[in-house]
Amino acid sequence: MTPDPEERDLRLAEYVLGTLPLPERAAVDLELAVDPAARAARDAWERRLAPLALGAPEVVPGPEVWPAIARRLAADGPRPASPIDVHPGGDLGPAANDDRIGALQGALRRWRLTAGTAAALAAGLALFIAVGGPRPGTGPGEGDGRYVAVVSRGGEAPALLVSIDTRAGTARVRPVGAQAPAGHSLELWYVGAGAAPKTLGLVGTDARVLDKALALPAEAGALAGGTFAVSVEPAGGSPTGQPTGPVVYSGPLIRE
Amino acid sequence: MRASPLRDGPPRGGSQPDGPSADDPARTDAVLVDLIARIARRDEAALRTLYDRTAPKLLGVVLRIQSDRGLAEDVLQDVFLRIWQKAATYSPAAGRPLAWLCTIARNRAIDGVRRRSETQGPVTEDGEDWVERLADPHDSEGAILGRNALQACLGRLEALHRDCIVLAYCEGQSREDLALRYDRPVSTIKTWLHRGLATLRGCLDGAP
Repeated sequence: MTPDPEERDLRLAEYVLGTLPLPERAAVDLELAVDPAARAARDAWERRLAPLALGAPEVVPGPEVWPAIARRLAADGPRPASPIDVHPGGDLGPAANDDRIGALQGALRRWRLTAGTAAALAAGLALFIAVGGPRPGTGPGEGDGRYVAVVSRGGEAPALLVSIDTRAGTARVRPVGAQAPAGHSLELWYVGAGAAPKTLGLVGTDARVLDKALALPAEAGALAGGTFAVSVEPAGGSPTGQPTGPVVYSGPLIRE
Repeated sequence: MRASPLRDGPPRGGSQPDGPSADDPARTDAVLVDLIARIARRDEAALRTLYDRTAPKLLGVVLRIQSDRGLAEDVLQDVFLRIWQKAATYSPAAGRPLAWLCTIARNRAIDGVRRRSETQGPVTEDGEDWVERLADPHDSEGAILGRNALQACLGRLEALHRDCIVLAYCEGQSREDLALRYDRPVSTIKTWLHRGLATLRGCLDGAP
């Protein structure tokens, strides 16, 4: 990202206008997902220009539109209460606030229970627990300096579990359901508040390299507001050092 | 087709048939905020009520960008499913509820035309026409705060800069669409957009 604040504000303005080329739009999506200042600047542009949208002439939809919506709602159904439902990520929702972190922690607790009772899931989550620290409830001091991020696509099953150990300076990535489109790679990014995304490397989907330790950027020690995201990149990773493809997953960090 | 079936006819001089309170923007906002909160709690009846109240406006927003009526109504379906999914993320602090809904509609419509890499169809309006719509006393949202300021500030931009901004925002024109329309390189369009946006920001933020 360009550090120039003027350039950045105009990029956000063009984002609101809808004129950014797709790769830049994807990069801004990531910026918005993780940076409150970027969201504030976007909101300011939305507010400045909103009267133009509100000026659109009204057109009454045909009578078949609502029934079609109702059918699609019914087809989706009320989702069963799955832990990840409490993570209102949307496509790229607002970055974590305290409420969401609390909710996510609750989700993780329930998840671990699930992992303990469902053998199939336990197999998938065992490494997460092992990497994330001692099993829950093993005493005070547990998890100091350790964080986890549940990287998910909004409302869907988690795709990656990222655990961070700031003392060791490592990130471990556990893909659960992440699939790179053919000919592409999934690249993991760390984005500190207000900072440009830093690559943490490519996400392995091969079972043999699942548990991959990645070096953390130095400033990741101050993890407040940090977010992880995964973008789809050309095979081998982003050619520019910044995300160029769509951001498919994102998730905030929570203290383990 | 762009005119509203409900709103055709002579201007009504600002008086609305629903009575004085229905036209009070603060009251309208409060109703919409409440509906969005209920939708966040999975209240389908609230979504239906929101649909009845806002679908004509949102379809109008979509139709300026996606002029095919059938495709636009498909987009409108997506818009309401999106509202259903995202209602929990709405915060009144971030902006007025109808503006939030319009943003979802614009984004879905623009995503749709970009995904198909459509070049925009024949342009039916000049940027100036959309700016004039801002002043339409016929519009129940006429009391929107900032409307007059935006109109005044757009009026101060160079005409080409203003038209690019307005056509992009209202009709979803891409830089490439605008380059074709004005027979200029894409880089020139980008420069126009940036100059116009920077001037607009300075004017609006300096306004009382």
